[in-house]
Amino acid sequence: MAGFSRVAVRAVAFPPDRVPMAAPAPRDAEAAFEDAWRNGRRVLSGPAAGCAAALATIPHAALDARGLPAAQAVDLARRVVERSWRWEKLKREREKVLAKLDVVTDAPVLFEAAWTRMAAALAGQDFCRELVVLPANMLTPVTFAERLQALAELGVGIEVLGRGDLRRAGLRGLLALGRASAHPPRVVALTWPGSGGTAPLAFVGKGLTFDTGGVSIKPAAGMETMRADMAGAAACAGAIMALALRRSPCPAVAVLALAENAIGADAWRPSDVIEMADGTEVEIVDTDAEGRIALADALVWTQRRFSPRLMVDAATLTGSIVTALGHHRAGLFCDDETLAQRLLAAGEATGEALWRMPMGGGYREDLKSDIADLRHCLPERMQPDACHAASFLRHFAGETTWAHLDIAGVEAHEEADEEHAAGPTGFGVRLLDALAARYEADG
Amino acid sequence: MPDFAFAKPALPRTGALVLLIAEGEAPWQAADTAAGGGIVRALKAAEFTGKKGQTCTILAPAMPGGTISRIVAVGLGKAGEVTRLGAEEAGGAAAALLAREEHATVAAQGLTPGLAASVATGMALRAWRFDRYRTTEKETDKPKLAKVTVLTEDLAAARAAHAPMAAVVDGVFLTRELVAEPPNVLYPAEMAERCKKLEALGVKVEILGPKEMKKLGFGALLGVAQGSAHEPRMVVMQWHGAGGRGKGAAAPLAFVGKGVTFDTGGISIKPAAGMEDMKWDMAGAGAVVGLMAALAGRKAKVNAVGLVGLVENMPSGTAQRPGDVVKTASGQTVEVINTDAEGRLVLADVLWYCQERFEPRFMIDLATLTGAMIIALGHEYAGFFSNDDTLSKQLHEAGEATGEKMWRMPLGEAYDKQIKSDIADMKNVGGRPGGAITAAQFVQRFVNKKTWAHLDIAGMAWSSKDAPCVPKGATAFGVRLLDRLVADHYEK
Repeated sequence: MAGFSRVAVRAVAFPPDRVPMAAPAPRDAEAAFEDAWRNGRRVLSGPAAGCAAALATIPHAALDARGLPAAQAVDLARRVVERSWRWEKLKREREKVLAKLDVVTDAPVLFEAAWTRMAAALAGQDFCRELVVLPANMLTPVTFAERLQALAELGVGIEVLGRGDLRRAGLRGLLALGRASAHPPRVVALTWPGSGGTAPLAFVGKGLTFDTGGVSIKPAAGMETMRADMAGAAACAGAIMALALRRSPCPAVAVLALAENAIGADAWRPSDVIEMADGTEVEIVDTDAEGRIALADALVWTQRRFSPRLMVDAATLTGSIVTALGHHRAGLFCDDETLAQRLLAAGEATGEALWRMPMGGGYREDLKSDIADLRHCLPERMQPDACHAASFLRHFAGETTWAHLDIAGVEAHEEADEEHAAGPTGFGVRLLDALAARYEADG
Repeated sequence: MPDFAFAKPALPRTGALVLLIAEGEAPWQAADTAAGGGIVRALKAAEFTGKKGQTCTILAPAMPGGTISRIVAVGLGKAGEVTRLGAEEAGGAAAALLAREEHATVAAQGLTPGLAASVATGMALRAWRFDRYRTTEKETDKPKLAKVTVLTEDLAAARAAHAPMAAVVDGVFLTRELVAEPPNVLYPAEMAERCKKLEALGVKVEILGPKEMKKLGFGALLGVAQGSAHEPRMVVMQWHGAGGRGKGAAAPLAFVGKGVTFDTGGISIKPAAGMEDMKWDMAGAGAVVGLMAALAGRKAKVNAVGLVGLVENMPSGTAQRPGDVVKTASGQTVEVINTDAEGRLVLADVLWYCQERFEPRFMIDLATLTGAMIIALGHEYAGFFSNDDTLSKQLHEAGEATGEKMWRMPLGEAYDKQIKSDIADMKNVGGRPGGAITAAQFVQRFVNKKTWAHLDIAGMAWSSKDAPCVPKGATAFGVRLLDRLVADHYEK
């Protein structure tokens, strides 16, 4: 696992000499942050967030977790490691960054045991963050699929569907949306066998390596952030990596629908009607509501191919959810009470918080088309598009237990603040890892 | 509005006949016999099964001995599972098909007397129409329904059940009328005058003008109002239904409404398209007024206060500017970044005043507050925010029971940070992300940790399509919801 860790974390019983040490206040008290020399040692004290931010640029630092139970110490170290993420592979001059963290604890053995599990999740998260941060010319559907080959050495099974395979499988929605791009779409299935025995959990990710909006083109301002429109797929891949690294007994599969939504002479159009993988005829209203089309086909194929125990999809799907929930919670749409409660609990436990949102009923009624089985969104402004999208996906989830995570708004932070590094968050990796842990418990 | 009466079951000879039919049940035997089995045949031909919401009209059935002009069959859904809401919706569905009739008889004897009364309630709710400004409509085009007779075995029980419902319906109509009125007619002073009418129901009504509000330090509300030629008002309505006055009285429930009689957006002016909708930016206040009328009208055994902040938001030489800092009644200062986020400024002062003066058991505010709420939930649910799980559960249940559906939305410190200001205690907008949540965070800063819920009804106050009990237009969302909340949990 060492090879996958960005920050080498180890437990120590005493503060190492000459290493700056952070001593976070246990409950993020009102205490002011302080950076001072005490007994010949640089000590950073105050709220945990402030400490994490300060440690981010110190190559070798210590974290004072004495007096804390192992679980809390792990969570504190996790915050420090997450906050220190920085991606400078394309820069010539690099800044100092946290690489080695000594956690001072009364219970090093307990800490190390708990950290192993966390380190697996964080490695998956880093894998996800790198995929998200990569620019769209470097990460196309094809190169995305190639990068996933790295997971093979962990025992992950990898299946890649190219254009011909997609055609044979009937994923006409995904093919239509990817048609105008010079970079053809892919579906990648990452299989973690676990200890077998049960049907796998399926994570289905939206992987739009770039989204121009297509013919319904987006405004220029802010379009560069659309390189991150594959964050759902990256999170699903990261979750599989985490499960593989910690040798989870839980069988799981990630299905990633990868495509670029481009403009071209043969691009799909608003008003096109597409026969989806399950035969549903869908009227396209807005080519910038492409994610649900990719996911719909992926959900159908996932059921057909894997007969999963349940499906959770993750997607940067709608601007509507950003307006609804902002940057602090992702939207959860789920009509299975058990799965919903488990996801909500996993969200609270990991800090990747969810909020439940409604679907069905009137939202489903709104999707009636005049000429096809469904339309995939509404043309008017001021629409509850997140609820519409979820109601659309509901149709394609069929009889399988399913939840939809709309992670638009939480996949990245524009600017660094005390708690968050600038850039991708890796949202979803630790959440899905924690969800899988809940299913390990009931075998 | 038709008159409603209850009568013992007897086959009518004239007018329209409404048959309420559950799934798999046969229509009223006496009627079908009189029609020589024609009703059963007609319903079969129409594939009418009694499914909820299903309707079937039979014109001029051959019924010797009478001149029944039409039979309207309405599906009730599964027998034995008819709820109050289901009965109201069945009544509403029937009313929609009876506009051309003067008199209708509703065969509700198969239902309990209480549900029979609910059918009448639903019919009334659906038959409402705002006619004040239709001057050239031909008499023949107007709805004719004038009298409805509801058949039931237990007249006394049905009448007893219907009386309080009728009071709530009156409250709903008052709200709908206030919301539907154009803004040149209904400005703050005029709306305050109309609140005065509640005195006839035993409600104590106080009206405060700009001078009084200035004394109270309502810098936020007055800032919004200062651009308009129409002076602002605050109306305080008190209903003492639980007995006891003065110090011995039980702490009241408090309802607070945003009443922007027209919202141009002010200097941060709105786009022209759709601006006419902003006449209903007082629907929160409208609902509070209607709710107080409902509670007083049915003599609810509860102490309740209703407070509405009434202003008009206009751009002018005296209007508030983006960048202004105002001081609220609580002493907290607000940097006004966007003058179109004015509702929360009005609520801030009124909520603070409310909790200080009345120390209420809870405060619930209603406001057409944010477009973000519409983008979040559309027109299916009102979003609500609360610092109390019990009250949240009660609100959610009242929503399901009345069909005024509620969806809880989150609050949290992280969202609160979005309204930090560089030069004041807070700013009045927190950006697009989580726009309804940051508005709720703003409002929460003025509830002084009291038990509280905030209902953002922006998507629910006005409807572009008919619903069974709500004709399109002003919905009076909140009146039936909160009346039910009070009835189910807060009356002794």
